[in-house]
Amino acid sequence: MADTDNRILLDWDALEVGETFDKYEYVLTQEMIDTYRKGVMDDEAGFPTIAHKVDVKQYNARYTDNGSVNARCAFQCYNPPIAGKKLTVTAWIADKYLRRGKNYIVTEAVSVDEDGRLIDRVITHELKQPSEVGKKWEG
Amino acid sequence: MGGMTRNYQVGDEVTSLVKQVTQEAINLFESSAGATGPSQFTDEETAREILGTSGTVASGRMSLTFALEMLRRAFGADVFNHTGSVDLRFLRPVRPGDTITFSGRVTGISREANGSKISVEIKAENQNGDTTGVGNGSAIVPNAYLPAEE
Repeated sequence: MADTDNRILLDWDALEVGETFDKYEYVLTQEMIDTYRKGVMDDEAGFPTIAHKVDVKQYNARYTDNGSVNARCAFQCYNPPIAGKKLTVTAWIADKYLRRGKNYIVTEAVSVDEDGRLIDRVITHELKQPSEVGKKWEG
Repeated sequence: MGGMTRNYQVGDEVTSLVKQVTQEAINLFESSAGATGPSQFTDEETAREILGTSGTVASGRMSLTFALEMLRRAFGADVFNHTGSVDLRFLRPVRPGDTITFSGRVTGISREANGSKISVEIKAENQNGDTTGVGNGSAIVPNAYLPAEE
């Protein structure tokens, strides 16, 4: 039997800055690191967590919307994660704003490993009208 | 800049980084976290539906990763992987087949509690000379790694 989709349709006006999502936990595998490094063509890339999009994972688990486009992303390095360690991510809505008639949501997340090592912090600005990309660049 | 020298001046150019973005690279990036379904990054039809573009695009997070690599090479992994940061705005889509050049220039040096913060402005351009991203980054370099003040 298929799982029921209990996600809430995003109401941007009602979304509260400061809303904090359930913690997200996962184990970082060597395969994840290796695949990431191949994808970015960098054998020493230290933060495969970037590709995991953990800052929006719990948002996407709670809300459904028309999709999004990444407009801005900030990343702070603290300690490269280690293969085999469980990572715990805390994410929240850091901000939201309206610019040129378009809605943006800012999510922020901090990852910590099972030994308490701070891994990284990521802040992402997502445009919630993704079709604007096609209108602007394909029109 | 970087390496053994650890001597930074405002105006210094960071060694640029060139990346050829392929669909295969995008697919690896997306799948590295276990993503398996079609997305605007991996599937042309999904990209048309969601973005209204004629083809797939690369996640901005790939450009972020490349900017981090450029600064890691400039400052050294021992410093950058613990104190580095990048803040990048995405101005144009990066598509499969694009060649993106990341460049940087030191814009400021300031004393912090745990070293000297070296700030760098960052620019990413595609093969047509169009700017795909701009932003800034920084690293806090321990003063022990820098030339002694006179």
